[in-house]
Amino acid sequence: MIRSVDLRIHNDMSEIGVVRDALDDLARQHAIPRRALTQLQVALDEIVSNVVKYSWEDGGRHEFLVRITVRSGGVDLEIIDDGRQFDPLTIAAPATVAAGRRPRPGGLGIHMARKLVDQVTYVRVDGRNHTTLSKACEVDVATQGSGK
Amino acid sequence: MKNGGLSIDIDRTRAGNVCIVTLAGRIDSSNAKDVLAELTRLMDSGETSLLVDLGNVLYLTSAAFRVLLVATDEAERRAIRFALCSLAGHVLELFEMGGLVDVFAIHHSREDALKQLS
Repeated sequence: MIRSVDLRIHNDMSEIGVVRDALDDLARQHAIPRRALTQLQVALDEIVSNVVKYSWEDGGRHEFLVRITVRSGGVDLEIIDDGRQFDPLTIAAPATVAAGRRPRPGGLGIHMARKLVDQVTYVRVDGRNHTTLSKACEVDVATQGSGK
Repeated sequence: MKNGGLSIDIDRTRAGNVCIVTLAGRIDSSNAKDVLAELTRLMDSGETSLLVDLGNVLYLTSAAFRVLLVATDEAERRAIRFALCSLAGHVLELFEMGGLVDVFAIHHSREDALKQLS
């Protein structure tokens, strides 16, 4: 059984709460362990906030899709936007921070997102970025299914 | 822990000359700016020692790290003492993952921090 939820939000930081709450609700319904949920929440925030900040530079209002899929053995987070091309896999890990020297984290968020999940895939299709984060974790898919 | 979509609580208490800011909930890209606004306000109001207690934080994202780095720099510029305490579990893991454990003044507990800052 697979359960998938589609959320359409705008490039507005205040709407990030919508995807955060949806992931919380799914985690509750499918008994996703706390640690995995925390890691998924951070990774999702990093990718979604990146889209909000950088995908469109025209100052306009744009909609994009976040799809959360709970399946046997894990969770997939897909972020699909028609903004400028951005492949998170091309971002290098930030240089190691020496004691007493403060970094100016730029790539830090993407770096953390990649470390927090098991797999990140990226494709550009029909002018859209499709970024998928997959995490293996304990999931109870026997309950609350709406099917798909 | 939902707070009108903000999902964070910011409380202040005082121990001697140290102003303790207790953050509870999640600090992410939707609310990190509120944390920075509060820390900046406290620095503007003449505080000389700020301690941020993260013991009740569920998780924080790079937006939160950025805010804490900005606050650290700003405190240094103004000769204000600025420290963090009570990083536990997932929160500590995230600091480690970001390579940020050595970047901040971090104390194990509030008591340890107050001994240093008071």
